[in-house]
Amino acid sequence: MKLHLGREDQQSSANQLLRDDAKFAAPKIAFFQYLTVAVFLFLITGFWDLQIRNPEVYQERALENSVKSIPVLAPRGKILDRDGRVIVDNHDSFSLYLSRENLKMEHLRPIAEGLNLDYDGLVARVRRFQSRGAPQYEPIAIKEELTPGELAFVDSHKDASTFPELEVVHVQHRLYPRDGLAAHVIGYVGEVSEAELGTPEFASFHQGDVIGKDGIERQYNDQLMGVDGQRRVEVDSFGNERHVLDDKEAIPGKNLQLTIDLDLQAVAELTLENRRGAVVALDPRTGEVLAMVSRPAFDPNLFAGRIRSKDWKVLLDNPAHPLMNRAIQAQQAPGSTFKPIMLLAGLETGAIDDNFHISCPGGATFYGHFYKCWGRHGTVGLHQGLVHSCDTFFYNVGNRMDIDDIARYAEMVGYGHKTGIDLPHEAEGVVPSRRWKIRTLHEKWFAGENISVAIGQGATTVTPVQMASAIGGIAIGGMWFQPHLVPEVHLLPARRGDVNLENIRKVIDGMYGVVNEPGGTGGRAHLPGIEVCGKTGSAQLVSNAAIKAGFKVAEDMKDNAWFVGFAPRENPEIVVAALFENGVHGQLAAPIVRDVLKAYFDKKARLAQPQPQIARLPTGLLQAPPRLPASSLAVNP
Amino acid sequence: MDFFLSRYRHLTVLLIVITAQLLLIAYQVRTNRDIPLIRVWAVTAVTPVEQGLEFVRRYTWGFVEDYFVLLNVHSANVKLQRENGQLKIDNNYLKNELATADRARSLSVFEARTPSKTIAARVIGNGTGANSKVVFVDRGSTSGVESGMAVVTPDGIVGKVVDAYPTASLVMLITDPTFAAGVISQKNRVHGTLKGQGHAECLVDYVQNEERVDVGEWFYTSGDDRIFPKGFPVGQVAAVQNGKTFKEIYVTPSGMQGGAEEVLIVLQGVHQEVPAGELAAPGYRIQPLPADAASEVPQGPPQPGALATDADRLRAIYKQAGADQKHVYGEGVPGSKPPDFTKIPSVHGVPTPASAAQPSTASAAQPSTASAAAPPPVAQTVPKPKLKSGPPAETGDPTDDEPSAAAPAQHPAPAYAPQKAAPGAATTRPPLPTSAPVTPPSNQ
Repeated sequence: MKLHLGREDQQSSANQLLRDDAKFAAPKIAFFQYLTVAVFLFLITGFWDLQIRNPEVYQERALENSVKSIPVLAPRGKILDRDGRVIVDNHDSFSLYLSRENLKMEHLRPIAEGLNLDYDGLVARVRRFQSRGAPQYEPIAIKEELTPGELAFVDSHKDASTFPELEVVHVQHRLYPRDGLAAHVIGYVGEVSEAELGTPEFASFHQGDVIGKDGIERQYNDQLMGVDGQRRVEVDSFGNERHVLDDKEAIPGKNLQLTIDLDLQAVAELTLENRRGAVVALDPRTGEVLAMVSRPAFDPNLFAGRIRSKDWKVLLDNPAHPLMNRAIQAQQAPGSTFKPIMLLAGLETGAIDDNFHISCPGGATFYGHFYKCWGRHGTVGLHQGLVHSCDTFFYNVGNRMDIDDIARYAEMVGYGHKTGIDLPHEAEGVVPSRRWKIRTLHEKWFAGENISVAIGQGATTVTPVQMASAIGGIAIGGMWFQPHLVPEVHLLPARRGDVNLENIRKVIDGMYGVVNEPGGTGGRAHLPGIEVCGKTGSAQLVSNAAIKAGFKVAEDMKDNAWFVGFAPRENPEIVVAALFENGVHGQLAAPIVRDVLKAYFDKKARLAQPQPQIARLPTGLLQAPPRLPASSLAVNP
Repeated sequence: MDFFLSRYRHLTVLLIVITAQLLLIAYQVRTNRDIPLIRVWAVTAVTPVEQGLEFVRRYTWGFVEDYFVLLNVHSANVKLQRENGQLKIDNNYLKNELATADRARSLSVFEARTPSKTIAARVIGNGTGANSKVVFVDRGSTSGVESGMAVVTPDGIVGKVVDAYPTASLVMLITDPTFAAGVISQKNRVHGTLKGQGHAECLVDYVQNEERVDVGEWFYTSGDDRIFPKGFPVGQVAAVQNGKTFKEIYVTPSGMQGGAEEVLIVLQGVHQEVPAGELAAPGYRIQPLPADAASEVPQGPPQPGALATDADRLRAIYKQAGADQKHVYGEGVPGSKPPDFTKIPSVHGVPTPASAAQPSTASAAQPSTASAAAPPPVAQTVPKPKLKSGPPAETGDPTDDEPSAAAPAQHPAPAYAPQKAAPGAATTRPPLPTSAPVTPPSNQ
């Protein structure tokens, strides 16, 4: 019993202990319960966020880890010369893209450091992309033309544990001729800018797209540019490609064949080495541009990737303006090369005739002002006036004419208007007239101003391509074709001038004499066996009055030298205009034209080919276009 | 509480572990951080144990293995074979000791001589991954090791640190498919990128087909990758062939010959020049580096001048023609002899690179890739190179020779193919027509 009681007591005391323990442990248990609840609440909020609130975000992020988009860039079409020789090619290159699907902003600094990129510029570029709302799979191009060293850096850091956002893309980059050969004709490519994206012309492009920025590259961008493709691949955690999910092939751009003849282009380039100026060679029968050079030039290869700001600044700050295409943009006084047009205008208007003669004692006085001639030519008629380039003779011609008649014939040959050549940013030049002066200077025309205009000075300015086209049109009998660089381009109809072929023949005879007769100013353009016709021009940049007043003529203010020539005299096939800036004497520009003409005719001699395919003019000296009333002269807008 | 814990001890431990894991996952999800804390802790916790096991394995396993082998020897030869076996064990042991001493000496000599600041480490285990080639080494962040550091041996590069834990580091080996490093060839100074292939050999990529690389030639680190200091040996070319765009160059890595057990982690790299001569017995006998080693690393943007178009070639031809005739383009006095271009070669087609390279201008002499046809690929292989086996093979790749004078490409006839001039046409002038009809050109 005692034992029993003892057991009961023990049981009772144990129960009491348990009760006491329970009481004692209750707060702790409660604490752990609450803690457990808190922990699970924490977990639930995490899972809520993961599975309910933003499941798409995490799903997309998971997919991004396994799917990678790689752009497949379409190569641009090649640019070829008329014989199919390559002027602009493509070469294998590597561009670096940032995959936005794997992009981490904190990686940008080491990436910029490793690739010598401007960190701030890189961040701004990424932010621009992000703010534009571009699709996540659209990568950001950050560097072109990776060097072997940069490739090594990228390849050794693009693994999943370092910078998985780095993506190297094999592309075809532009390969332009070296030393700026034909740079102004070809132009260059570059990434479409923010400003351009806002224009209708480039509205369909995307940031990062490479487009033609100037020259043929811009003019025929639609043809040259292909359509990019894209590869979407599944990658493993190490970044290795496992499956190709989607492979949209790129469509390459179309090749473009120009009218340029590389033989002539090469020689024309060499004639202007270390000089400033321009050369334009045309086929006057078609308007095809055979060569076009502007110097100094730039290296378009600098633009093939992304031009460095340092290089861009050097180009912009260069006082010689290497980016300017002087062949179509240099608006300079034509000087004495304007005299053939004056002679034609004088004959056509009846201001002078075959019997017109003057005496040149070294100048003449008009309206109380003495106008100096560059020489003393004695008695001078039509032919000798042109051959000797007698200023006094043409002063008299100008004095006998009305300025608006001069302007009419200048415009007839194409001055004062764009030729319509298929290059961007062509300049118009200036043909002064009463209307022009009132419109621009709000002043009336004074007859004394004719005197300067008559020798290609005063307000008259032309571009080299205008000069080649104008003289070429006269050479073939008063018919002007639109200069162009691509054969299949849509052209305006040829303009036919209301001119008498007899008068044209007198002009051509004079131009023949310039090169081939004793005393002619263009003897340096003479080519044995080839009847070269031409005209020199020395255009002042500083007036005689200013020089007399003590103005010191700097090197870059010396007279410009011009020469324009064509050959052969009968049925001419080529016309070449050369502007030698600060060349002082027109006769010094004549060898430039001579070398280009020689290259043309020597090539012709080398080739044994059948009849020309483009030019189908009947044989004969000059083809007489039907006479049209002067009012019907069509001028390019 | 004690009762509860004692009664549900296993369950409690399990719950604690699960809860801890979930907490960590939640923490990682919420903070969006890449730091694998579990992995860090796990590696840190396991590494000492692994080091101990590796130590035990290294010093006892061979003995145990040999012991059990010896147990199976026939009883009749027990004594002799036991003696023989014992000798073999001794011999092997001594060889191993010698090799270990060699490696240690090599490592310590290299460590002392290299200008880079390094720290020795021992490989303690392989990493996971079906395709990856990674190992753990017994040095970590507490020893100053960081991700992105180079791992080398005196024989060459081994890999790079991809993760640094407190007491260990994960090293991606040179053979890993995602490994890459900038390299330069010793003889021809050709730059490229070494890429792991997942097997014993590595590929050197981005080397133009026109570049010359010889079988047996050594590649060194170029320093371009900002990981490996310039001048470390990489390996010897085992095979070369022209590829579609770039050469396919296979290199046998020299740093992992015979397996890498002891390595050096480059804490602070110092660039060295690539030796100009033959490799000086890669091993612990490090030859002094030539002071006048050529600085061949190109700086700045690529020079497209190395490539050329037909326009460049044609201008070079005309320039040469002018120079031959002593003609200055664009100049001349009345009556001076004009240039003669009737002998200009290849005017109607693409001139050969050889003819274009005639002028003395450096750029014109560069190999052309833009339009030159690549020769058919010819593979060259040699037995895998052995270290300390003498100078590299001088066998050249015939496909790497200067571009041959291939036949010029045919081009269509010029659109303005000229008419033959009639004799005397230049001087005879027909009468001027007054009303001849005009036939407009066909493209109007």
